[in-house]
Amino acid sequence: METFSALGGGFAVALTPFNIMLALMGCIVGTAIGVLPGIGPLNAIALLLPFCLALRLPPESALILLTAVYYGSGYGGRITAILLNMPGEPSAVLTTLDGHPLAKQGRGGAALAISGIGSFIGATLSVVAMTFMSVPLARVAVAFSPADYVALIAFALSLLGAVGGVSAPKAWGAGCFGIMLALVGVDSGTGVERFTLGSLELLGGIDFTVLAIGLFAIGEILLLVETTMRAEAAKIGGGQRLTLKEVAFCLPAMMRATGIGFVIGVLPGAGASVASALSYTAEKRLNESNGKFGQGDIRGVAAPETADNAAQIGNLVPMLSLGIPGSGTTAVLLGALLMYNITPGPLLFEQRPEVAWGLIASMYVGNVLLLALNLPLVGVFARLLSVPASVLYPGVLALSFAGVYAASNSAFDLLMAIVFGVLGWLFRKTDIPLVPIILGFVLGRMLEDNLRRALSLSGGDVVALVESPVSIGLWVLTAGALVWPLIMVLRRRG
Amino acid sequence: MSSKGLIADRVLGLGFMVLGVLAAYSAWTLQVPFAADPLGPTPFPVTVALILLVCGGLLVLKPVHRFEPIERPAAPPLMVVAMAAYALLMEPLGFMPATALMACAVALLFGARIVFSGGVGIITAVALWLLFDKLLDLPLPKGILPL
Repeated sequence: METFSALGGGFAVALTPFNIMLALMGCIVGTAIGVLPGIGPLNAIALLLPFCLALRLPPESALILLTAVYYGSGYGGRITAILLNMPGEPSAVLTTLDGHPLAKQGRGGAALAISGIGSFIGATLSVVAMTFMSVPLARVAVAFSPADYVALIAFALSLLGAVGGVSAPKAWGAGCFGIMLALVGVDSGTGVERFTLGSLELLGGIDFTVLAIGLFAIGEILLLVETTMRAEAAKIGGGQRLTLKEVAFCLPAMMRATGIGFVIGVLPGAGASVASALSYTAEKRLNESNGKFGQGDIRGVAAPETADNAAQIGNLVPMLSLGIPGSGTTAVLLGALLMYNITPGPLLFEQRPEVAWGLIASMYVGNVLLLALNLPLVGVFARLLSVPASVLYPGVLALSFAGVYAASNSAFDLLMAIVFGVLGWLFRKTDIPLVPIILGFVLGRMLEDNLRRALSLSGGDVVALVESPVSIGLWVLTAGALVWPLIMVLRRRG
Repeated sequence: MSSKGLIADRVLGLGFMVLGVLAAYSAWTLQVPFAADPLGPTPFPVTVALILLVCGGLLVLKPVHRFEPIERPAAPPLMVVAMAAYALLMEPLGFMPATALMACAVALLFGARIVFSGGVGIITAVALWLLFDKLLDLPLPKGILPL
């Protein structure tokens, strides 16, 4: 009951016209930012923060605006992923797998709609979970040891074969290639240079934006320019619109994805990419008999998009309730709080209820606003495909390059993106799946860092990796995920 | 399954194997000045490289895919040239001129007429300049234009 009255007080803050307007503004900016490749919510928040201070917004209003940008971006990344096969955010990579085939069948609007609904469900249910168990959850999350992370990431990687498609050696080879790309640069533990080929520019490693834009945007455009005479590109319409029956059909998948996304999101460092990958593969495995994943299964759009937004909200939990940021963007939000002389932590909810509860209440409001904004606009977004190729693709390419350059100010990064673009084109030609490369890239570094941290803590004792119940459970799942496809192959033969 | 496809997959598998061997060798021969942690920077990349090597080997032994024929063989290389020129000209020429040229070239490759392509190039360049430099405050190189 105490929680309800506190939340009621929060709504009193969030529902003032001024704060509703700020939430709306944040949602619009966030969606737009999510569409732009390379420019994430981090840039937008860093940009808006001085604006908040200059306007002397009260802390709760500033936080409502900035956080709306943050979760609004989760709604934007999917638009280009579905329509153009080019994910705007790392976590939208999985959405391309079924979203783009749907768009090619003329059902881009339906895919956009279900992803908006999924995002809404994932985010809203996660805010509910956050309302009631923020502090205890955060404490559990912080107790997650490096060894547990090793097991979690190993589990996520063991599913690579499942997202890969046709050939296991190709999926695994692609995943390993992605991991090796992530290891390029100076090793943080020892200062040793790895795989830098003696290049100064590679010392700092390869930027995610460069890799994703190269493989997806440039690679896709190279493929399109080569086959432009064929009707290969996505269609504007023609397919059936999203039906209520389909929404109901996706509901179990969205519920599972919310659970996976929120739990993964609460863990500092794991993030939305892991969550969307896990939920996609979970659905694919669960529905092996009746799914057509990879060819335009609507659940293949609903699950990763739901998990993505659930994880984003989950990511706020350790930041708000313990003052520990789980990602770069939440670290910037934490910085914003500190600039207002507010220290997040368990006491925040008692000392500054208008900030903590006002923010939580505003997230209920913001997600309703985002759904209301997004569903009517689905048709408008899908219109993107009616732009002629000779206008659309030069624009997309220039936008991608501008994003890469603005993030790094280096022409070398542009060249590197082009190299990855050629690779992406060749990989598409030879049926090498691109998603495992991205997942390997994101997870590989995390896996090595946590493995080395865990072994440092145990003094090199490998047994420490399988000591906690959590890690044992995850290793069992990992083994299962690795052995399961082999059993299936043997069965089919036998 | 065409024989061309099998060859493409074998070449790819060989590529994976070569990359795996080179990466394993490069990681194995790292000179580590001090041991900051029990594992060090070597074993993880070596393991990954060995998995890559095995995957490559499997592909060479059991190629799976047909290679898709290239329909307009001139277009992709031309676009790579346009993009590379863009990357090299970005700093000396500035963002707007370089972007206008690149976008114009890409529009031409997608089959647009020359005047139309020029328009696409200029509008794209100006729009992105306004978006990034003015609206988002992410500075882009000015180059030769007096801005």
